[in-house]
Amino acid sequence: MSTWRGDDRSVSGAAARVSGAASPPVRMRDALLRNTAFRAGLVLVGLLVTLALLGPIVARHDPYTSDFVGGITSENLPVGPSAEYWLGTDRIFRDVFARLATGARISLAIGIAATAIATCVGTVVGVLAGWYEGRALDTVLMRLVDVGLAFPFLLIVMALGAALDRTTATTILLTLGLTGWLGVARMVRAKTLQVRNLDFVVAARALGQSTWRILAKHVLPNVAGPVVVIATLLVAQMILAESVLSYLGAGISPPTPTWGHMLLEGQDYLTAAPWISGAPAAAILVAVLGFNLLGDGLRDVLDPRKT
Amino acid sequence: MKRVLRRLAWAVFVVWATVTIAFLVNHALPSDPARMIAGQQAPPAAVAKIRSELGLDRPLWSQYGRFLRRLVHFGPSSFEKTDPQHGSCANAGPLHLDLGRSYQQRRPVTTILAERAPRTLLLAFAAACVQALIGVSAGVFAATRRRTSADRLAVGLSMLGVSAPTFVIGLFLQWLFAYRLRWFPIDGYGETALEHLASLVLPAITLGVFGAAYYTRIVRDEMIGELSSDYVRTARAKGLGPLQVTVRHALRNAMMPIVTMFGLEIGTLVGGAVVTESVFRWPGLGSLSVNAMLDRDGPLIMGCVVVTSTAVVLSTLAVDLAYAFLDPRVRRSGSS
Repeated sequence: MSTWRGDDRSVSGAAARVSGAASPPVRMRDALLRNTAFRAGLVLVGLLVTLALLGPIVARHDPYTSDFVGGITSENLPVGPSAEYWLGTDRIFRDVFARLATGARISLAIGIAATAIATCVGTVVGVLAGWYEGRALDTVLMRLVDVGLAFPFLLIVMALGAALDRTTATTILLTLGLTGWLGVARMVRAKTLQVRNLDFVVAARALGQSTWRILAKHVLPNVAGPVVVIATLLVAQMILAESVLSYLGAGISPPTPTWGHMLLEGQDYLTAAPWISGAPAAAILVAVLGFNLLGDGLRDVLDPRKT
Repeated sequence: MKRVLRRLAWAVFVVWATVTIAFLVNHALPSDPARMIAGQQAPPAAVAKIRSELGLDRPLWSQYGRFLRRLVHFGPSSFEKTDPQHGSCANAGPLHLDLGRSYQQRRPVTTILAERAPRTLLLAFAAACVQALIGVSAGVFAATRRRTSADRLAVGLSMLGVSAPTFVIGLFLQWLFAYRLRWFPIDGYGETALEHLASLVLPAITLGVFGAAYYTRIVRDEMIGELSSDYVRTARAKGLGPLQVTVRHALRNAMMPIVTMFGLEIGTLVGGAVVTESVFRWPGLGSLSVNAMLDRDGPLIMGCVVVTSTAVVLSTLAVDLAYAFLDPRVRRSGSS
């Protein structure tokens, strides 16, 4: 975010033509804060971050321990939301709030880390393919992306999950990160093709600057705007993918609380204890919606042509 | 024509590459199918016998060669299901398709897929209809009432629809329409045609919500563009009613990208059905592949990969070709 704003100022004329964002940082911040979608996204993501940071600290119970005294009703059912258990207890009488908050940490960490991996790989591949358009490197890389996009990744991620006896957060974030870069690469390549023929890049080449220097100093800063947008939207996709995997039983192994698995556990208690599924469902919705709104707002401000 | 052939060849290549990667991944998985079939207590000799029967003791390249040779080959037009050579084949005349037998179910993979595929196609088609119907009407509705509170509501709802994960929607619908109102069955597939239909409603809506919301946004944008164009102004000046202008003029021109998306969607929906089918225990390809994964049922996993990647590639191919056919500019540049 900050890197591309800084570079934007130094090449503001060219950046205006490429990403449509010529405003200095302050004006852009104001434009963002005036954007309804961005503001709403900021609030939702803020809620989520607060839950992840403070939730496990303020929770009154341990997320892994069953409470067979206070967390159980006389009919052997989980208790509903109360002052003691803010979001009730789950099917084996653990604190739903504590599990939700711990799950938030995991979801956010995986979402952001996997996005970072996918964005880095995708940007490098996209810039290289775009710069060497039509050459062998471009052909090979883009064919790879084509095959990748047709590949049923869910199946492979699940196969890995099933094969490894214990799946950890690291496994999941690496798999998601290393499979998520395809779309980024395509978008960055298209953007690089535009930037490549702009005057200042042509001038830099004429001056005899090395390819790597041009890519790093001129191309990269100018594709950064759209990359920030797509990365924000990607965080939502990654959080979603993590919860789908754990819902399908191929995510991080229990008893680690994940939103997807909490949802699955509550599915048989939809009438008796709707809060077990309801809490993680709401959390996933807030997370995905929040990052989508942030991304939409960023796009509106960075690329006014799209609105 | 040359371009079409090149495009076809590329499609075949993508399917081949996908299948090959899946084969390698499958092979690299640390599980022992022979041990799985024989059972945990079986003597080593029995496990070794099964392993050699399945060809699992041979080197990787020989197994891969055998897999590809069996995948599509020629054989007799009619054969018994007990035939040791072709017992697990599906055929169209002398052309055979063989994906082996499922480790768990001990039945030919092609038979299982043939049983499951129509149900997933039915679900995908129903969902595609849901999204087209809701998406187009909501999009047109919002575009014709631009900047009113109805428009803002439609845009807001579509944002919610795009963000709501499939299983969250599914669980909500289950809770509301199956548990509370008892209008539709909670899950499963039912026995009679009427029960199939009743069981189809909730999964179809669940699978269609994302697309419906996405369509709403696209249709709204397209329609806003069309409604402000010159020919619409002319039509209005001619004295045509608002309904005629909207539907007969603007919508017709806004449909082009929407038709394209419809084709693309079917492939995506077949892939996306995995979660929906698991939530509603709909016995289609999606839940089949999840179970195959969790059971580490190699041949069945490969079968699912072959079918889903073919579906995705075919639907993109169909869209590309339809585009070339519909848009003269693309067609001309292709023939030159």
